[in-house]
Amino acid sequence: MSPRMYKLLVWLIAILPGLVALFFMRSPDTASVGGVLNYLGRLTGIVGLSTMLMAAILCCRVPGFDRPFGGLTKMWKLHHQLGAVAFLLLLAHPLLLAFAAAEVSLTAAVATLTPTSQSLWLGWIALVLMMVFLAPSFAFFGHPDYQRWKWVHRLSGPAIILALIHTALLMRTLPAPWDTLVWVVYVAAAVGALAYRFVFSRVKGRQPYQVMQVERSANNVVEISLQAERSRLDHEAGQFVYLTPFDKTLTNGYAEEHPYTISSAPDEPLLRIAIKDLGDASRAIQTIAVGSQVKVEGPYGGFFPPTELGPSLWVAGGIGITPFLGKVRELARGEFSGDVHLVYCVQDESRALFLEELSGYAQALPGFHLSMHYFYREGPLDEAFLNRVCDDVAEREAFICGPTPLLSCARNVLLGAGVPARRITTEEFELL
Amino acid sequence: MKKTVFAAFIAFWSSIGTLVLVGSLSAHAVSEAEGELSTYTLEQVAEHNTLGSCWMVIEGKVYDFTGYIPRHPTPPVVMEGWCGREATEGMRTKGYGRDHSPAAWGLMEDYLIGELE
Repeated sequence: MSPRMYKLLVWLIAILPGLVALFFMRSPDTASVGGVLNYLGRLTGIVGLSTMLMAAILCCRVPGFDRPFGGLTKMWKLHHQLGAVAFLLLLAHPLLLAFAAAEVSLTAAVATLTPTSQSLWLGWIALVLMMVFLAPSFAFFGHPDYQRWKWVHRLSGPAIILALIHTALLMRTLPAPWDTLVWVVYVAAAVGALAYRFVFSRVKGRQPYQVMQVERSANNVVEISLQAERSRLDHEAGQFVYLTPFDKTLTNGYAEEHPYTISSAPDEPLLRIAIKDLGDASRAIQTIAVGSQVKVEGPYGGFFPPTELGPSLWVAGGIGITPFLGKVRELARGEFSGDVHLVYCVQDESRALFLEELSGYAQALPGFHLSMHYFYREGPLDEAFLNRVCDDVAEREAFICGPTPLLSCARNVLLGAGVPARRITTEEFELL
Repeated sequence: MKKTVFAAFIAFWSSIGTLVLVGSLSAHAVSEAEGELSTYTLEQVAEHNTLGSCWMVIEGKVYDFTGYIPRHPTPPVVMEGWCGREATEGMRTKGYGRDHSPAAWGLMEDYLIGELE
Protein backbone atom coordinates (compact mmCIF):
# COMPACT_ATOMS: atom_id res chain seq x y z
CA MET A 1 0.00 0.00 0.00
CA SER A 2 1.36 3.44 -0.92
CA PRO A 3 1.84 6.30 1.60
CA ARG A 4 -1.11 8.01 -0.06
CA MET A 5 -3.38 5.04 0.69
CA TYR A 6 -2.20 4.96 4.32
CA LYS A 7 -3.03 8.66 4.66
CA LEU A 8 -6.47 8.11 3.12
CA LEU A 9 -7.06 5.24 5.54
CA VAL A 10 -6.16 7.47 8.50
CA TRP A 11 -8.58 10.16 7.28
CA LEU A 12 -11.29 7.53 6.84
CA ILE A 13 -10.83 6.25 10.41
CA ALA A 14 -10.84 9.87 11.65
CA ILE A 15 -14.23 10.65 10.10
CA LEU A 16 -15.75 7.19 10.65
CA PRO A 17 -17.88 8.19 13.70
CA GLY A 18 -19.39 10.93 11.50
CA LEU A 19 -20.27 8.37 8.83
CA VAL A 20 -21.86 6.12 11.49
CA ALA A 21 -23.86 9.16 12.71
CA LEU A 22 -25.05 9.86 9.16
CA PHE A 23 -26.19 6.26 8.89
CA PHE A 24 -28.43 6.73 11.95
CA MET A 25 -29.79 10.14 10.92
CA ARG A 26 -33.50 10.57 11.73
CA SER A 27 -36.06 12.49 9.65
CA PRO A 28 -36.60 15.28 12.27
CA ASP A 29 -32.90 16.09 11.87
CA THR A 30 -33.58 17.50 8.42
CA ALA A 31 -37.14 18.78 8.96
CA SER A 32 -36.13 22.47 8.92
CA VAL A 33 -33.12 24.66 8.20
CA GLY A 34 -32.59 24.95 11.96
CA GLY A 35 -32.79 21.16 12.25
CA VAL A 36 -30.15 20.70 9.55
CA LEU A 37 -27.87 23.29 11.16
CA ASN A 38 -28.35 21.64 14.55
CA TYR A 39 -27.51 18.25 13.07
CA LEU A 40 -24.43 19.66 11.33
CA GLY A 41 -23.46 21.27 14.64
CA ARG A 42 -23.58 17.90 16.38
CA LEU A 43 -21.81 16.19 13.46
CA THR A 44 -18.92 18.70 13.49
CA GLY A 45 -18.59 18.05 17.24
CA ILE A 46 -18.38 14.28 16.71
CA VAL A 47 -16.00 14.36 13.72
CA GLY A 48 -13.94 17.16 15.29
CA LEU A 49 -13.34 15.09 18.41
CA SER A 50 -12.66 11.82 16.56
CA THR A 51 -10.21 13.61 14.22
CA MET A 52 -8.48 15.16 17.25
CA LEU A 53 -8.19 11.68 18.81
CA MET A 54 -6.77 10.33 15.53
CA ALA A 55 -4.16 13.11 15.61
CA ALA A 56 -3.31 12.00 19.18
CA ILE A 57 -3.00 8.38 18.03
CA LEU A 58 -0.51 9.43 15.33
CA CYS A 59 1.84 11.06 17.83
CA CYS A 60 2.81 7.68 19.29
CA ARG A 61 6.20 7.69 17.45
CA VAL A 62 6.76 3.92 17.43
CA PRO A 63 9.93 3.29 15.36
CA GLY A 64 8.85 1.77 12.05
CA PHE A 65 5.23 2.97 12.19
CA ASP A 66 6.20 6.10 10.28
CA ARG A 67 7.63 4.14 7.34
CA PRO A 68 4.31 3.49 5.52
CA PHE A 69 3.62 7.22 5.63
CA GLY A 70 6.97 8.02 4.02
CA GLY A 71 8.81 8.88 7.24
CA LEU A 72 8.13 10.56 10.56
CA THR A 73 8.11 14.12 9.18
CA LYS A 74 5.37 13.08 6.72
CA MET A 75 3.47 11.45 9.60
CA TRP A 76 3.86 14.65 11.66
CA LYS A 77 2.50 16.58 8.71
CA LEU A 78 -0.55 14.33 8.65
CA HIS A 79 -0.91 14.78 12.44
CA HIS A 80 -0.73 18.57 11.86
CA GLN A 81 -3.37 18.43 9.10
CA LEU A 82 -5.68 16.28 11.26
CA GLY A 83 -5.27 18.77 14.11
CA ALA A 84 -6.09 21.69 11.79
CA VAL A 85 -9.23 20.05 10.41
CA ALA A 86 -10.36 18.98 13.91
CA PHE A 87 -9.89 22.54 15.16
CA LEU A 88 -11.86 24.04 12.25
CA LEU A 89 -14.70 21.55 12.86
CA LEU A 90 -14.74 22.21 16.60
CA LEU A 91 -14.87 25.97 15.99
CA ALA A 92 -17.87 25.41 13.72
CA HIS A 93 -19.58 23.14 16.31
CA PRO A 94 -20.91 25.78 18.81
CA LEU A 95 -21.55 28.30 16.04
CA LEU A 96 -23.74 25.91 14.04
CA LEU A 97 -25.69 24.96 17.19
CA ALA A 98 -26.23 28.65 17.95
CA PHE A 99 -27.30 29.42 14.38
CA ALA A 100 -29.72 26.49 14.58
CA ALA A 101 -31.27 27.93 17.75
CA ALA A 102 -31.54 31.32 16.00
CA GLU A 103 -34.41 29.77 14.05
CA VAL A 104 -36.35 30.01 17.31
CA SER A 105 -34.98 33.37 18.43
CA LEU A 106 -31.77 35.29 18.86
CA THR A 107 -32.14 34.91 22.64
CA ALA A 108 -32.18 31.14 22.18
CA ALA A 109 -29.03 31.38 20.01
CA VAL A 110 -27.19 33.32 22.69
CA ALA A 111 -28.51 30.97 25.40
CA THR A 112 -26.98 28.02 23.44
CA LEU A 113 -23.57 29.68 23.65
CA THR A 114 -23.86 30.71 27.29
CA PRO A 115 -21.96 28.29 29.54
CA THR A 116 -24.56 27.90 32.26
CA SER A 117 -24.34 24.15 32.84
CA GLN A 118 -21.38 21.96 33.79
CA SER A 119 -21.35 20.24 30.38
CA LEU A 120 -21.26 23.56 28.50
CA TRP A 121 -18.51 24.91 30.75
CA LEU A 122 -16.44 21.79 30.00
CA GLY A 123 -17.00 22.23 26.26
CA TRP A 124 -15.95 25.87 26.36
CA ILE A 125 -12.87 25.23 28.50
CA ALA A 126 -11.84 22.41 26.13
CA LEU A 127 -12.24 24.70 23.12
CA VAL A 128 -10.30 27.56 24.69
CA LEU A 129 -7.52 25.12 25.74
CA MET A 130 -7.39 23.92 22.12
CA MET A 131 -6.95 27.51 20.99
CA VAL A 132 -4.09 27.89 23.47
CA PHE A 133 -2.25 24.68 22.56
CA LEU A 134 -2.78 25.07 18.82
CA ALA A 135 -1.83 28.76 18.64
CA PRO A 136 1.94 28.01 18.51
CA SER A 137 1.42 25.04 16.13
CA PHE A 138 -0.19 27.37 13.59
CA ALA A 139 2.16 30.27 14.42
CA PHE A 140 -0.68 32.59 15.51
CA PHE A 141 1.83 34.82 17.24
CA GLY A 142 5.01 34.18 15.25
CA HIS A 143 7.33 31.17 15.08
CA PRO A 144 7.34 29.39 18.47
CA ASP A 145 10.27 28.25 20.57
CA TYR A 146 10.53 24.43 20.23
CA GLN A 147 10.55 23.55 23.95
CA ARG A 148 7.81 26.06 24.84
CA TRP A 149 5.72 24.75 21.97
CA LYS A 150 6.16 21.19 23.30
CA TRP A 151 5.03 22.22 26.80
CA VAL A 152 2.03 24.18 25.56
CA HIS A 153 1.10 21.27 23.28
CA ARG A 154 0.67 19.06 26.36
CA LEU A 155 -2.50 21.00 27.13
CA SER A 156 -3.99 18.83 24.37
CA GLY A 157 -4.39 16.07 27.01
CA PRO A 158 -6.67 18.02 29.40
CA ALA A 159 -8.47 19.61 26.42
CA ILE A 160 -9.35 16.20 24.95
CA ILE A 161 -10.39 14.79 28.36
CA LEU A 162 -12.74 17.76 28.97
CA ALA A 163 -14.11 17.47 25.42
CA LEU A 164 -14.80 13.77 26.02
CA ILE A 165 -16.70 14.46 29.28
CA HIS A 166 -18.65 17.22 27.48
CA THR A 167 -19.52 14.69 24.77
CA ALA A 168 -20.46 11.96 27.26
CA LEU A 169 -22.86 14.34 29.05
CA LEU A 170 -24.56 15.59 25.90
CA MET A 171 -24.28 12.86 23.26
CA ARG A 172 -27.52 11.92 21.57
CA THR A 173 -26.72 11.70 17.85
CA LEU A 174 -25.39 8.14 17.82
CA PRO A 175 -27.79 5.52 19.19
CA ALA A 176 -26.71 3.27 22.07
CA PRO A 177 -24.52 1.21 22.17
CA TRP A 178 -22.73 2.86 19.24
CA ASP A 179 -22.19 6.13 21.13
CA THR A 180 -20.24 4.47 23.95
CA LEU A 181 -18.56 1.91 21.68
CA VAL A 182 -17.18 4.51 19.23
CA TRP A 183 -15.64 6.69 21.94
CA VAL A 184 -14.29 3.76 23.96
CA VAL A 185 -12.44 2.41 20.89
CA TYR A 186 -10.96 5.81 19.92
CA VAL A 187 -10.03 6.71 23.47
CA ALA A 188 -8.42 3.29 24.05
CA ALA A 189 -6.30 3.69 20.90
CA ALA A 190 -5.27 7.23 21.87
CA VAL A 191 -4.45 6.22 25.45
CA GLY A 192 -2.40 3.28 24.14
CA ALA A 193 -0.48 5.55 21.77
CA LEU A 194 0.21 8.14 24.48
CA ALA A 195 1.19 5.47 27.01
CA TYR A 196 3.76 4.20 24.51
CA ARG A 197 5.03 7.69 23.83
CA PHE A 198 5.29 8.99 27.37
CA VAL A 199 5.81 5.85 29.45
CA PHE A 200 7.12 2.87 27.47
CA SER A 201 9.42 4.82 25.14
CA ARG A 202 10.99 6.67 28.11
CA VAL A 203 11.64 3.45 30.02
CA LYS A 204 12.45 0.97 27.26
CA GLY A 205 12.53 2.83 23.93
CA ARG A 206 15.50 5.10 24.66
CA GLN A 207 18.89 3.41 24.36
CA PRO A 208 21.80 4.69 26.47
CA TYR A 209 24.94 5.69 24.54
CA GLN A 210 28.21 7.30 25.56
CA VAL A 211 29.81 10.23 23.72
CA MET A 212 33.19 8.94 22.47
CA GLN A 213 34.28 11.77 20.19
CA VAL A 214 33.13 15.25 19.16
CA GLU A 215 34.55 16.33 15.83
CA ARG A 216 34.07 19.89 14.62
CA SER A 217 33.24 19.83 10.89
CA ALA A 218 32.72 23.60 10.62
CA ASN A 219 32.48 26.45 13.11
CA ASN A 220 28.77 25.71 13.65
CA VAL A 221 28.61 21.96 12.97
CA VAL A 222 29.83 19.00 15.02
CA GLU A 223 29.71 15.29 14.37
CA ILE A 224 29.44 13.30 17.58
CA SER A 225 30.36 9.61 17.73
CA LEU A 226 28.42 7.45 20.18
CA GLN A 227 29.11 4.03 21.66
CA ALA A 228 26.12 1.89 22.65
CA GLU A 229 26.06 1.00 26.36
CA ARG A 230 23.49 -1.75 25.87
CA SER A 231 22.14 -2.82 22.49
CA ARG A 232 23.02 -1.01 19.27
CA LEU A 233 20.37 0.77 17.29
CA ASP A 234 19.48 -1.08 14.10
CA HIS A 235 19.10 1.58 11.43
CA GLU A 236 19.33 2.37 7.74
CA ALA A 237 21.37 5.14 6.16
CA GLY A 238 19.62 8.51 6.16
CA GLN A 239 17.31 7.82 9.10
CA PHE A 240 17.11 10.08 12.14
CA VAL A 241 16.84 9.70 15.89
CA TYR A 242 15.66 11.68 18.90
CA LEU A 243 18.71 12.42 21.02
CA THR A 244 18.55 13.38 24.70
CA PRO A 245 21.84 14.59 26.22
CA PHE A 246 22.57 14.14 29.95
CA ASP A 247 25.63 16.35 30.21
CA LYS A 248 25.14 18.71 33.16
CA THR A 249 27.69 21.18 31.80
CA LEU A 250 25.42 22.00 28.83
CA THR A 251 24.14 25.56 28.94
CA ASN A 252 20.91 24.52 27.28
CA GLY A 253 18.91 21.43 26.33
CA TYR A 254 19.89 19.15 29.26
CA ALA A 255 17.56 16.11 29.21
CA GLU A 256 15.63 17.59 26.28
CA GLU A 257 15.05 15.41 23.23
CA HIS A 258 15.65 16.81 19.76
CA PRO A 259 15.64 15.12 16.33
CA TYR A 260 18.98 14.73 14.52
CA THR A 261 20.00 12.79 11.43
CA ILE A 262 22.34 9.80 11.62
CA SER A 263 25.43 10.43 9.50
CA SER A 264 27.14 7.06 9.94
CA ALA A 265 26.72 3.94 7.83
CA PRO A 266 24.50 1.23 9.39
CA ASP A 267 27.35 -1.24 10.01
CA GLU A 268 29.80 1.20 11.59
CA PRO A 269 30.73 0.31 15.18
CA LEU A 270 29.95 3.86 16.41
CA LEU A 271 26.76 5.78 15.78
CA ARG A 272 27.59 9.19 14.33
CA ILE A 273 25.26 12.16 14.36
CA ALA A 274 25.94 15.48 12.64
CA ILE A 275 24.44 18.51 14.39
CA LYS A 276 24.26 22.07 13.12
CA ASP A 277 23.81 24.97 15.49
CA LEU A 278 20.25 25.95 14.53
CA GLY A 279 18.66 26.65 17.92
CA ASP A 280 19.45 26.97 21.63
CA ALA A 281 19.81 23.22 22.28
CA SER A 282 21.71 22.39 19.08
CA ARG A 283 24.04 25.34 19.81
CA ALA A 284 24.74 24.10 23.34
CA ILE A 285 25.33 20.50 22.22
CA GLN A 286 28.26 21.69 20.10
CA THR A 287 30.31 21.60 23.31
CA ILE A 288 28.95 18.29 24.73
CA ALA A 289 31.53 16.56 26.94
CA VAL A 290 33.26 13.39 25.75
CA GLY A 291 32.30 10.59 28.15
CA SER A 292 28.85 12.01 28.94
CA GLN A 293 25.72 9.93 28.46
CA VAL A 294 23.00 10.49 25.87
CA LYS A 295 19.86 8.52 25.13
CA VAL A 296 18.85 7.71 21.62
CA GLU A 297 15.35 6.83 20.46
CA GLY A 298 14.51 5.65 16.97
CA PRO A 299 15.30 5.19 14.19
CA TYR A 300 12.69 7.16 12.26
CA GLY A 301 12.25 8.21 8.67
CA GLY A 302 12.54 6.29 5.45
CA PHE A 303 14.37 8.59 3.10
CA PHE A 304 16.04 5.95 0.95
CA PRO A 305 14.02 2.97 -0.29
CA PRO A 306 14.87 -0.35 1.41
CA THR A 307 15.47 -1.82 -2.07
CA GLU A 308 18.71 -1.40 -4.02
CA LEU A 309 19.40 2.12 -5.23
CA GLY A 310 18.97 2.69 -9.00
CA PRO A 311 20.53 5.61 -10.92
CA SER A 312 19.96 8.52 -8.57
CA LEU A 313 20.29 12.25 -8.30
CA TRP A 314 20.80 13.58 -4.78
CA VAL A 315 20.26 17.25 -4.06
CA ALA A 316 21.54 18.39 -0.67
CA GLY A 317 21.37 21.84 0.88
CA GLY A 318 23.61 22.79 3.83
CA ILE A 319 23.20 20.42 6.78
CA GLY A 320 20.77 18.46 4.55
CA ILE A 321 23.94 16.65 3.44
CA THR A 322 23.75 14.33 6.51
CA PRO A 323 21.43 11.58 5.18
CA PHE A 324 23.47 11.49 1.93
CA LEU A 325 26.69 11.35 3.93
CA GLY A 326 25.37 8.31 5.79
CA LYS A 327 24.36 6.66 2.53
CA VAL A 328 27.63 7.35 0.69
CA ARG A 329 29.57 6.05 3.71
CA GLU A 330 27.48 2.89 3.46
CA LEU A 331 28.12 2.62 -0.29
CA ALA A 332 31.85 3.13 0.28
CA ARG A 333 31.97 0.32 2.84
CA GLY A 334 30.45 -2.18 0.40
CA GLU A 335 31.14 -3.02 -3.21
CA PHE A 336 29.43 -0.09 -4.83
CA SER A 337 28.63 -0.48 -8.50
CA GLY A 338 25.71 1.96 -8.81
CA ASP A 339 25.31 5.39 -10.34
CA VAL A 340 24.78 8.32 -8.00
CA HIS A 341 25.14 12.02 -8.74
CA LEU A 342 25.24 14.34 -5.72
CA VAL A 343 24.52 18.04 -6.22
CA TYR A 344 25.55 19.78 -3.04
CA CYS A 345 24.14 23.31 -2.69
CA VAL A 346 25.77 25.73 -0.25
CA GLN A 347 26.15 29.48 0.06
CA ASP A 348 29.93 29.51 -0.35
CA GLU A 349 33.02 27.34 0.09
CA SER A 350 33.24 27.97 3.84
CA ARG A 351 29.86 26.28 4.35
CA ALA A 352 30.57 23.11 2.40
CA LEU A 353 30.45 20.51 5.18
CA PHE A 354 32.38 17.23 4.89
CA LEU A 355 33.65 18.37 1.49
CA GLU A 356 37.04 16.73 1.82
CA GLU A 357 35.51 13.38 2.68
CA LEU A 358 32.90 13.62 -0.09
CA SER A 359 35.56 14.59 -2.68
CA GLY A 360 37.53 11.55 -1.56
CA TYR A 361 34.55 9.27 -2.27
CA ALA A 362 34.01 10.96 -5.65
CA GLN A 363 37.57 10.00 -6.59
CA ALA A 364 37.55 6.53 -5.07
CA LEU A 365 34.08 5.31 -6.12
CA PRO A 366 33.64 5.07 -9.91
CA GLY A 367 29.83 5.47 -9.86
CA PHE A 368 29.70 8.38 -7.42
CA HIS A 369 29.83 11.93 -8.81
CA LEU A 370 29.89 15.16 -6.87
CA SER A 371 28.93 18.62 -8.17
CA MET A 372 29.15 21.64 -5.94
CA HIS A 373 26.62 24.45 -6.40
CA TYR A 374 27.63 27.73 -4.78
CA PHE A 375 24.75 30.15 -4.41
CA TYR A 376 26.92 33.28 -4.35
CA ARG A 377 28.36 32.31 -7.72
CA GLU A 378 25.52 30.48 -9.51
CA GLY A 379 22.38 32.02 -7.96
CA PRO A 380 19.45 29.71 -7.16
CA LEU A 381 19.65 26.12 -8.44
CA ASP A 382 18.22 25.91 -11.96
CA GLU A 383 17.60 23.44 -14.78
CA ALA A 384 20.55 24.72 -16.83
CA PHE A 385 22.96 23.96 -13.96
CA LEU A 386 21.55 20.45 -13.47
CA ASN A 387 21.71 19.65 -17.17
CA ARG A 388 25.27 20.95 -17.33
CA VAL A 389 26.55 18.70 -14.55
CA CYS A 390 24.33 15.66 -15.21
CA ASP A 391 23.13 14.81 -18.70
CA ASP A 392 20.40 12.30 -17.79
CA VAL A 393 18.54 14.06 -14.96
CA ALA A 394 15.09 12.98 -16.21
CA GLU A 395 16.06 9.30 -16.08
CA ARG A 396 17.07 9.35 -12.41
CA GLU A 397 15.38 8.80 -9.07
CA ALA A 398 15.66 12.10 -7.19
CA PHE A 399 16.23 12.66 -3.46
CA ILE A 400 16.23 16.14 -1.94
CA CYS A 401 17.13 17.12 1.61
CA GLY A 402 17.72 20.60 2.94
CA PRO A 403 15.98 23.72 4.18
CA THR A 404 12.40 24.32 2.97
CA PRO A 405 13.23 27.02 0.34
CA LEU A 406 15.80 24.73 -1.30
CA LEU A 407 13.36 21.82 -1.11
CA SER A 408 10.66 23.61 -3.06
CA CYS A 409 13.16 25.21 -5.46
CA ALA A 410 14.89 21.88 -6.23
CA ARG A 411 11.55 20.09 -6.58
CA ASN A 412 10.33 22.63 -9.15
CA VAL A 413 13.61 22.50 -11.05
CA LEU A 414 13.51 18.68 -11.14
CA LEU A 415 9.88 18.65 -12.30
CA GLY A 416 10.85 21.15 -15.01
CA ALA A 417 13.77 18.93 -15.99
CA GLY A 418 11.36 16.06 -16.62
CA VAL A 419 11.62 14.02 -13.40
CA PRO A 420 8.08 12.79 -12.61
CA ALA A 421 6.75 13.71 -9.13
CA ARG A 422 6.52 10.03 -8.11
CA ARG A 423 10.30 9.73 -8.54
CA ILE A 424 11.08 12.69 -6.26
CA THR A 425 11.57 11.98 -2.54
CA THR A 426 12.00 14.86 -0.12
CA GLU A 427 12.99 15.01 3.52
CA GLU A 428 11.92 18.07 5.49
CA PHE A 429 14.01 19.17 8.44
CA GLU A 430 11.36 21.47 9.83
CA LEU A 431 8.71 19.70 11.86
CA LEU A 432 6.24 22.58 12.14
CA MET B 1 -2.95 26.06 6.25
CA LYS B 2 -1.65 28.43 8.96
CA LYS B 3 -3.49 31.36 7.37
CA THR B 4 -6.74 29.37 7.05
CA VAL B 5 -6.67 28.29 10.70
CA PHE B 6 -5.87 31.81 11.90
CA ALA B 7 -8.64 33.28 9.69
CA ALA B 8 -11.11 30.72 11.13
CA PHE B 9 -10.00 31.59 14.66
CA ILE B 10 -10.69 35.31 14.06
CA ALA B 11 -13.98 34.55 12.22
CA PHE B 12 -15.10 32.38 15.15
CA TRP B 13 -14.69 35.12 17.77
CA SER B 14 -16.17 37.72 15.40
CA SER B 15 -19.28 35.55 14.94
CA ILE B 16 -19.61 34.86 18.67
CA GLY B 17 -19.23 38.59 19.40
CA THR B 18 -21.81 39.55 16.78
CA LEU B 19 -24.32 36.94 18.00
CA VAL B 20 -23.99 37.98 21.63
CA LEU B 21 -24.26 41.68 20.77
CA VAL B 22 -27.26 41.36 18.41
CA GLY B 23 -28.86 38.84 20.82
CA SER B 24 -28.65 41.21 23.76
CA LEU B 25 -30.05 44.09 21.66
CA SER B 26 -33.02 42.02 20.45
CA ALA B 27 -33.72 40.69 23.98
CA HIS B 28 -34.42 44.27 25.08
CA ALA B 29 -36.77 44.83 22.14
CA VAL B 30 -38.73 41.62 22.87
CA SER B 31 -39.20 42.32 26.59
CA GLU B 32 -40.61 45.74 25.78
CA ALA B 33 -43.04 44.38 23.20
CA GLU B 34 -44.47 41.50 25.29
CA GLY B 35 -48.27 41.54 25.56
CA GLU B 36 -50.90 39.57 27.50
CA LEU B 37 -50.94 35.76 27.38
CA SER B 38 -53.87 33.44 26.56
CA THR B 39 -55.18 31.05 29.24
CA TYR B 40 -55.75 27.30 28.90
CA THR B 41 -57.21 24.53 31.07
CA LEU B 42 -55.40 21.26 31.87
CA GLU B 43 -58.04 19.48 29.71
CA GLN B 44 -57.13 21.64 26.73
CA VAL B 45 -53.45 20.93 27.30
CA ALA B 46 -54.16 17.17 27.59
CA GLU B 47 -55.43 17.14 23.98
CA HIS B 48 -51.89 17.89 22.81
CA ASN B 49 -50.22 14.74 24.10
CA THR B 50 -48.36 13.46 21.02
CA LEU B 51 -45.09 14.22 19.27
CA GLY B 52 -47.18 15.75 16.46
CA SER B 53 -48.61 18.29 18.92
CA CYS B 54 -46.91 18.45 22.28
CA TRP B 55 -47.99 20.99 24.90
CA MET B 56 -46.80 21.02 28.51
CA VAL B 57 -47.54 22.93 31.70
CA ILE B 58 -44.45 24.06 33.59
CA GLU B 59 -44.78 26.16 36.75
CA GLY B 60 -48.23 27.42 35.74
CA LYS B 61 -47.32 28.34 32.18
CA VAL B 62 -48.29 26.54 28.97
CA TYR B 63 -45.70 25.71 26.32
CA ASP B 64 -45.99 24.22 22.81
CA PHE B 65 -42.80 22.16 22.39
CA THR B 66 -43.81 20.47 19.09
CA GLY B 67 -41.18 22.34 17.10
CA TYR B 68 -38.50 21.86 19.75
CA ILE B 69 -38.58 18.06 20.22
CA PRO B 70 -36.20 17.30 17.28
CA ARG B 71 -33.65 19.64 18.84
CA HIS B 72 -33.89 18.29 22.39
CA PRO B 73 -30.69 16.50 23.47
CA THR B 74 -32.48 13.21 24.29
CA PRO B 75 -34.41 10.83 22.04
CA PRO B 76 -37.99 12.17 21.41
CA VAL B 77 -39.50 9.39 23.53
CA VAL B 78 -38.15 11.06 26.69
CA MET B 79 -40.14 14.24 26.09
CA GLU B 80 -43.14 12.39 24.64
CA GLY B 81 -44.05 11.03 28.09
CA TRP B 82 -44.58 14.58 29.35
CA CYS B 83 -46.69 15.81 26.42
CA GLY B 84 -50.19 17.02 27.44
CA ARG B 85 -49.27 17.04 31.16
CA GLU B 86 -48.05 19.11 34.05
CA ALA B 87 -44.31 18.66 33.40
CA THR B 88 -42.58 20.80 36.04
CA GLU B 89 -41.11 17.68 37.63
CA GLY B 90 -39.54 16.62 34.32
CA MET B 91 -38.06 20.06 33.83
CA ARG B 92 -36.75 20.28 37.39
CA THR B 93 -35.36 16.73 37.68
CA LYS B 94 -34.70 15.42 34.13
CA GLY B 95 -35.90 12.15 35.67
CA TYR B 96 -32.76 11.72 37.77
CA GLY B 97 -32.84 14.63 40.17
CA ARG B 98 -30.91 17.21 38.15
CA ASP B 99 -32.44 20.53 37.12
CA HIS B 100 -32.25 21.77 33.52
CA SER B 101 -29.66 24.46 32.91
CA PRO B 102 -30.56 28.16 32.93
CA ALA B 103 -29.85 28.05 29.17
CA ALA B 104 -32.63 25.47 28.77
CA TRP B 105 -34.99 27.54 30.94
CA GLY B 106 -34.15 30.55 28.77
CA LEU B 107 -34.74 28.57 25.57
CA MET B 108 -38.19 27.53 26.87
CA GLU B 109 -39.53 31.07 26.85
CA ASP B 110 -39.60 31.00 23.06
CA TYR B 111 -42.24 28.24 23.16
CA LEU B 112 -44.53 29.95 25.70
CA ILE B 113 -48.12 30.12 24.39
CA GLY B 114 -50.12 30.95 27.53
CA GLU B 115 -50.91 30.44 31.20
CA LEU B 116 -52.86 27.77 33.06
CA GLU B 117 -56.34 28.89 34.04
